[in-house]
Order: sequence, then structure tokens, then C-alpha cells
Amino acid sequence: MIKTRIRSKMFYSYLHDPSAIAGSVILTVFVLSALMAPWITPQNPYNLEEVSLEYFLTPPIWMEGGQMPYMLGTDDQGRCIFSTIIYGCRTSLVVGFSVVLIAGTFGIIIGLLAGYYGGKLDTITMRLADTFYSFSTTLLAFLFLGIFGKGSVSIVIMAICIAGWVKYGRTMRGSVLEVKQEAYIMAAKATGASDIRLLLKHLMPNAIPPIFVIVAVDLAVVIMLEATLSFLGVGVPLTEPSLGMMVAIGKNYIYAGMWWMIVFPGAALIFLVVGINLFADWLREELNPKIERKG
Amino acid sequence: MLAVTFIAIILGAAGPATAASTLIVAQDYPPRMMNPHGDDSDAGLSYMANFFDGLLQRKGSDGALVPALAVKWDHPDLLTWRFYLRKDVKFHNGNDFNAADVKFTFERLIDPEVSEFTNTGKQIDLVEVIDDYTVAIKTKQPIPWFANNMHQVFIMDKESTESRDPGDVMVKPIGTGAYKFVEWVKGSYIKMEANEAYWEGAPPIKKVEIRPITESSTRFAALVSGQVDIVTGVPVELFDKVLKNPKLQVVSRPARRSIFLGLGNKPGTPTADIRVRKAMYMAINEDEIIEKIMRGHASPAAQVPDPPTIGYNPDIKRLAYNPDMAKKLLKEAGHEKGFDITLTGPNDRYVQDAKIAEAVARYLAKVGIRVKLDVKPKSVFFPEVTKGILDFYLIGWFDGTFDMGRTYFKLVHTRDEEKGFGVFNGAAFSVPEIDKLLQSTADIVKPEERQKTLQKLNKMAMVDHIAWIPLHYQEDLYSIQKDKGIKFQPRPDRWMVYKEISK
Amino acid sequence: MATYIARRLIQGIFVILAASMFCFIIFQYMGDPVLNMVGQYASFQEIEEVRQNLGLDKPLYVQYGRFLWNAVHGNFGKSYVTRVPALGLILERFPATFELVSLAVLMAFITGVVMGVVVALKPYAWRNRLIMAGSLAGISIPTFLIGILLIMVFAVFLEILPAFGRGDTLQIGFWRTGLLTVSGLRHLILPAVTLAMYQLAVLLRLTRAGMREVMTEEYIKTAWAKGLPPRKVIFKHALRNVLIPVVTITGLQFGELIAFSIVTETIFQWPGMGNLLLTSIYEGDQPVIVTYIMLAALIIITANIIVDILYAMINPKIRYD
Repeated sequence: MIKTRIRSKMFYSYLHDPSAIAGSVILTVFVLSALMAPWITPQNPYNLEEVSLEYFLTPPIWMEGGQMPYMLGTDDQGRCIFSTIIYGCRTSLVVGFSVVLIAGTFGIIIGLLAGYYGGKLDTITMRLADTFYSFSTTLLAFLFLGIFGKGSVSIVIMAICIAGWVKYGRTMRGSVLEVKQEAYIMAAKATGASDIRLLLKHLMPNAIPPIFVIVAVDLAVVIMLEATLSFLGVGVPLTEPSLGMMVAIGKNYIYAGMWWMIVFPGAALIFLVVGINLFADWLREELNPKIERKG
Repeated sequence: MLAVTFIAIILGAAGPATAASTLIVAQDYPPRMMNPHGDDSDAGLSYMANFFDGLLQRKGSDGALVPALAVKWDHPDLLTWRFYLRKDVKFHNGNDFNAADVKFTFERLIDPEVSEFTNTGKQIDLVEVIDDYTVAIKTKQPIPWFANNMHQVFIMDKESTESRDPGDVMVKPIGTGAYKFVEWVKGSYIKMEANEAYWEGAPPIKKVEIRPITESSTRFAALVSGQVDIVTGVPVELFDKVLKNPKLQVVSRPARRSIFLGLGNKPGTPTADIRVRKAMYMAINEDEIIEKIMRGHASPAAQVPDPPTIGYNPDIKRLAYNPDMAKKLLKEAGHEKGFDITLTGPNDRYVQDAKIAEAVARYLAKVGIRVKLDVKPKSVFFPEVTKGILDFYLIGWFDGTFDMGRTYFKLVHTRDEEKGFGVFNGAAFSVPEIDKLLQSTADIVKPEERQKTLQKLNKMAMVDHIAWIPLHYQEDLYSIQKDKGIKFQPRPDRWMVYKEISK
Repeated sequence: MATYIARRLIQGIFVILAASMFCFIIFQYMGDPVLNMVGQYASFQEIEEVRQNLGLDKPLYVQYGRFLWNAVHGNFGKSYVTRVPALGLILERFPATFELVSLAVLMAFITGVVMGVVVALKPYAWRNRLIMAGSLAGISIPTFLIGILLIMVFAVFLEILPAFGRGDTLQIGFWRTGLLTVSGLRHLILPAVTLAMYQLAVLLRLTRAGMREVMTEEYIKTAWAKGLPPRKVIFKHALRNVLIPVVTITGLQFGELIAFSIVTETIFQWPGMGNLLLTSIYEGDQPVIVTYIMLAALIIITANIIVDILYAMINPKIRYD
């Protein structure tokens, strides 16, 4: 009952916060474009047969030399920039959601168990988490890919998950530690509820709210990380460029004045991440009780 | 206020001030070390050629072999090479140059700790000091091209190399060369100054500063901003910009390196059928690759050796681009639906290597062959080539000896671990006929005879068996600042030998 | 307390060992380094001889054991590419990375915290909206993109700042510094700003959030009620408490900082340790890679321990047993 009221309060605040709406609209646009990629793009840039060197390095149509259907120009292999951006966003979103899902689930489970059972399990997992965290997801993913990397999206996802679970694990554990002491948990325990039931039906739903903010922020962070890894050349394969790799390809041409290969993918990446962050900011404010708010 | 002034000074300051007579060059590869035997790649030897001399050297745009530290040489029997050394030559530290240094140098070559010329070193049976200025080198087997290699073996000073700490030898070169070493700040620059007592006469440019910049667009930026006088390895995509720039001048020459695709012919694989190899050859639009990816800076190749090399056969012609014919051949060979194959290649070794591979994959896709692209750094790629486990790969080659024999032993001879054949035969291509003919050339010493047999061999490999799909010869592109009066003639081996440049 | 530090140190050593062992195992899959160390014309036999010479034909545990024994004596092996000691190679580049990272952290910390305080105290002025928008951009633009955009604007378009290298440097003893020449300072600007940007934005938002929380606390309201001058309230009470999590997080972000410095050094061709790591990975230079990872682990663990100690000193409620 309390939850319904909180939910409707949140909904009200959501409708009245321009940045939240802006953020979610941007995100929705990107997700929809990614899903409908084959229908809204003139070309599938990952399909070698559709790309032809004949049209390489054409500028956007409003400049001299530009030609339809390559609205935003082409890169040096003849890939349509617009199409590659849409497909690249697809890769970014796939990696982002996958990591959040996999690392998140793993981290939540670990956090639940560590927080609830405590003791040795807790110490060991948290020590492990500390170690992984201190090395930073970026460094670990980079070293993993640099040494193993065979250039595929699934390996990139795996690499980011290596340390990606830590924030979920720690947050969940902290949250569980707090909720564990609550009266209703004690009551449930006293009435002889089994551990699993306790974990799943009582602890998890109540300990989970902080995770929502983490999910939103993490999505943005993972997308940026994938872009960075692809830029360094250890991410996605050369023939299936993501936004980061497009920037890497384009950077060799900035001195030749061919700016469109960097500016458009860069702008797309920035918009996507800004959108997610706007939404995440609003979410964080909503779920944080300690701030004095106007109105 | 203070902050504003400070910022103004910093932004307003011009670039670093160096003496007007210093030549500043941006080279595309940094030196790995200052030990002249430790790196046998052209990139490394290019640096060493300034601090050291070999017994012989190559000069001129055709790379003719001429005396350096040896004024004369002869070949009294199949196994012996005699060198008559130059007198009154001193090392940079004042020590005299004589036969003891030559003996020391050649005996050092077999030590893998300090030398990558172990192959050359092992060929030598013994080095005989006949007198202070005469040396005879006896090889274990007859090696027709032995002297051709002498421009790459740099002579070191016996006394100082033995007495110094090995780490010091790696970072401070002491040679007889035209330039003396001044300073090496790794990752930033190498400074050298003219050796006024050089035996060939002091070089015209007194101070040289080399800045290795591996990133091509950064190199270009350095040139355009006037920070450097010469740039090697102008990136092809920026070439037009350089042409249009009134302050810059482009210098180019056809490279000796040819780029080609290696194939296997293991029974049971699609490429074992010569029709399939022919089809793949015809499916690739090399002219478009040259035009679009190499931006016109390459010339189509029909074979692996280049014109000046012994074994080059002008009668071999390229198969024309014909995707329809390719499809027909594939159908004949029973591959109407195409097949899958992996194309492996480096992404940091040759000009536009990864892009060429991408384009090749695309052309083959259009005739139904599904190519999986596997490009990787050269440090991972080349070991795979030497293991012979690849199906289809992109590689380039250029042999400093101007003789096709050595190249073919490494590239096309059936792999033989014991004898050391076929080390770079990446897909284990094997045709016994070719092996036999190749082995027979090992005993032929006269260049004219070698030419005839090697040409025959070349034709057999390229036309009858399509051992490789040749693509093109690269072009070496340099750019210099116009108004500085720099006279620079690029060398065929891409070395930057500063005594040959004048201002 | 001393036992705590000792325990952390021992744990740290374990981590470093584990990291190096992990590296060794991974190297088995990394391709054959021997090939890059012999000439192009080496025969199979010569390759095998070099392999034996370097002890790369021995089983894994022997190689690792030998490596550890040497490491304890300060010998981390010789770089496969340049044949000089790996440790020396990395330490040679330490000053370059140190100067870059220090400047970036300084910039990020000072600017971030100051702006965070300013924005927290007056959340609804237009100027502050702009700063907050800027900070949003700061955390939404990946480091490599910031670097490239800065290069495009300041080096390519406006041509007022250099885009690569360290410029002229001076050698003082064993430290090669770029801070004492105008050229060196000019070359430091763009890379330092690039590296600082993300941290700056994070610190700004953190400080702002922290300040806003703290301002509602009881003891602050008491201070206001007592009539203390605003400056004292803000600096002496509020900020001090906000700084605790801020400093902690900065310390814990060392790993991220090292990772981002690799990206920055790559873009600007900065001759530091990160750049060396990247080229070593491409070249398969295993000794340098292992040494770098161990060094990075050491730095990170030390930073963590220092942060823990500082935290315990500042916050008396924490007890380490």
C-alpha cells in the first residue's frame, strides 16, 4: 500500500521534471532506432556485400560532393555514416543492457548471500570485490581484451562483467545489512520462514531500490566503456564498428578536413549517454530522502 | 591578473627554438635499441646506418653495392669471401678500425642475446684475420648472395663493446659512421651531430634531430605546423592535403615491397583446386584498391619480386578483374554456393593493411565466398604465419639482397623444420616441383644463370600454380618543407641515411 | 592499528602475486614472442635456440618460479623488444605520467570542489544551471572523445596549442621534467585537461550533493542559529564533513585514473607508462606487461591503504581491529 503511494508520487514528480522526461525520451528514441535498424537505414554497414568502395569518403549531402542516400556522408570503406551510427548504437545498447543484466544479476545474488549469511562468505566476497574494484573495470577490461581479445561483442561483454558486478554486489549487501534488522524480517524469521523464501520474498524486494539508480548510471558507464575499448582497438571487430570505433577510424581524417566521420558518431554517443544520465539523475534525487526540495 | 598574463605567455609562445642548421625529421618508426645487430628490420637499420658503417654499403636510387669500410672484395672460391679494409678510419671514441673489429663483429652475430642476425652468423664457418687490414670469411655452404648482405652488418668497436656494460651498448652507439650519437630520449627524440673526421668526408648537415611519431595524423600535423623539416611515411589519406599545401613538397618513389595474399593447397580444402585460386584472384578489383584505398600510391603487381631483383620475370602478367568469370570458375570447381574462409592479416605493419584486407573480403563476398576477417597486431600475426596454420592471409615482402632465391626458400618452399625452409609459408603451400627447382638454384652462383632459372621458377609459381595472389607494390611517400632547400633522394630500402641529404 | 596495516600489506602482496601469476598463465595464449626477437630469416632451429636461451621452453611453473626469484632481487626481466631491463624502462617513463596525472588530479580536485560548493549554496541561479549542465556533459563524454575534440578545436582549427608529445624537457638527476620549460607546460595543457574533465565533473556533482545533504543536518542549522559567520559555517563545518567521502572516492578512483591515463597518453602520444603498456601489448612484450601490472597493483593498493588510514584518522567512529 505504501508502495503504491510512493509510486504515484514518483510518477507525478516524473511528469513535472523536464530533464527526466527529456532523458527518457532520448533513451527511447535510441532504443527504438536500434530495434528498427534494418528498416530505417539505407544500408547494413556490417554486411560486406552492401558496402562499396565506390562511395567512400563522401561528405554529408549539404556539402559539395555529398550524395543520397548517404545523408551524413560515408567513411573510408564506403559505409554510410548514418547507418553505421544506428547499428553502432545497437551494439552499444546491447553491450550496455547485457552487462547490466549479467553483472547485475550476479552482483545482486552475491550481495544478497553475503549480506544475509555474513561471516566467511561475506569477508571473502567483499575482499574479492575490493580487489577487483580497486583495479577499476576499465583497466581490467582493457587488460583482458588486450591480451585475449578476439574482437567480438560477447567477449567485450564478458570483459566488462569481470569487475562490473562489484557495485551491484556491494550496494545490495549494504542494503541487505540495513533491511535485515527490520521488524518484519525478524517476524518472518520467527514464524519459521525458510531461508530462500526470506531472501526472495522479503529481503530482495525491500533491499533493491538503491540498485535502480545503480542500473541507470551503470548503463551509461558501460556504454562509454565499450566506446573507449573499441576506440583503443580492443573492442568490437573492425568490420562491425561501434560508435567508439567509428571515432577511431575518423580520427585519422580530421587533419584532412573530413570532420563528419568523428562529429556525428561522437554526437550520437554523447546524446545517448546524456539521455541516460538525465534519467539517472532524476531517479537518484527521487530515491534520496535527505535533500531539501523546492515545492 | 597574474593568471591571465601567465596564460597569455604560454599561448603566445612559439614552438621550441632549435639551431637553424638542425635538420628535424619525423620518422614513422622509433628505434628499438642502439645495438646495431639487435634489430634486423629496415626501420632499425635505418637509424644504425647513420652511426655505423658496414663493410659495404648501398647507394644511389638503384641501391648499387659499393665499398664502405672495405675498399675491395673478392670471392676466391665458393666458400671464401675476402675483404680488403680501409685504412686510417677511427671510431667515434678515437679507437682505430682494423681487422680485429671485423672478426669481433661477425663472431658476435651468432649470440641471440645481442643479435637478430643469427641466420647470417650461422652461415659463417670462420673469420680469418690475414693481416690488420685483410679479412677472409669462410661460409659453411656456398651462399651466392653473401656479399649482398654486407651493407646490413654494421661493424662495432671490439675494445669498447667488450669493456662496456651490455645495457650501455644497447643505448649508446659507438661506430665509424657519418654521425656521432648525442642523445636519445625514448619516446621523444634522437639527437646526432656530424662526425667531422668521417672517412668519406664530413656530412653537409651538421645536426640532426629525429622525432619518431608513430601516429600518422600526428606526423602530418607536425609537418603542417612547420615543426619538422622532413616526414617519412606520409599517410595516403592525407596525401592530397600535402599536395595542395604550398609550403610542402612531396617526394615519392615506388617501394620494393610487394603486398600479396597467401593461400594454401592442402587436399580437401577449397583452395586446393587451382580454379578456386584463380577465381579468388579474378574476384578482386585491385585497380579500385589502388585507387581508393592506396589513393593511387601503389602500382599493380603480378609477382612477388620487384623489377631490380634477380628472378623478376617481365613476362608474367596480372589476371584481369572479372567477377563473372570468377563465379563461373567457382561453379566449375563445385563451389556454386561459395564457401567460408578466414582471411588473417596484420593491422599495424603495411600501408593500409587492415583496410586492404577488408576490401578483399568484400570483393570475395560479392562472388559468394564468405570471408571472416581476422586482423591483429603483427606481433600476434607473424607467429601464426610461421606456424603455418593459416588458410588465407595478407602479407608483404621485400628482400634486401636483390635476389629472389632467399625469399622463395622462406615463402614458398614446402615447410621443413629441420632444414629451415618455408618459415613464412603461412598456409603450408606445397608443390614438390617448385621445391626441386628451387633447391637446384642453391648451387648456381653466376647472376645471369640465376636470373634464368629463377625467372622460370617465378613463372611456374605464379602462373602455373598461383602460389599467391599478388596485389601491388607500395609507394614510399615523404614530404619536406619547400623553402628550406632540402635535397633529398629517397632510398629503395627506405632507410634515412642523413649523410646523403643536404640543405 | 599497526596490525591492521600489516595485514593489509600482506593481503596486498598476495594480490600482486596473484596478478603476476594470472599474467603468466594468460601469456601462454598470447602468441609466440620469440619470433619477434629473431631475425626475419631465422630458421626453425634458430628460433628454438632463442626459445631455450630465454627459458621459454620450460614448463610454466619453472618460468614463474624463476621470474619470482629474479623479481625479489629487483630483476624483472628484459624487455623482449628493446632488450633492456623492464623495470628501468617503465620507471624511466614514470615522471611523464606522474606529472600529467598530478596536474590533472589537482585541477579536478580544486576546480570540482570549489564549483561544487558554489553551486550547492545557490542552486537556482542561471550560472549554476550552466555549470550543472557542463558537469553532466563532463560525465557523459568519454575521455577519448574529450581529447579528440580538444585536439580538433585547439590544435587543428585554432592552432594555438600543441597536440602531441611533451615538448622540451629538462633532466634533473633521474627525473625528466616538463614543468620547467614554456614548451613543456604548453604541451601539458590539453592532456591534463582531458584527463581531469571526468574527475572534475564527478567531484563537482559529489561535492554539490554532499553539501546539499549536509546543509540540512542539525548541527549546521545550529551553527546558523548561533549566528556564526557564513564562511565559518561553510568551511569549518560543512565542507569538512563533505570532504571525507570526496577524498575517499578520489583515492579509490586510482584504478580508473590509471586506466584513463592510458587513453589520454595514447591520444596525445604522451611518452608515459600508459603509452608504453599499450605498445607492449601490441608488441607482445611480456616482461614489460607483467612488470607494469605489478607496479599498477602496488600503486593502487598503496593508495587504498593510505585512504583507509586517513579515513580512520578523520572519522573516529571507525575502528580497525
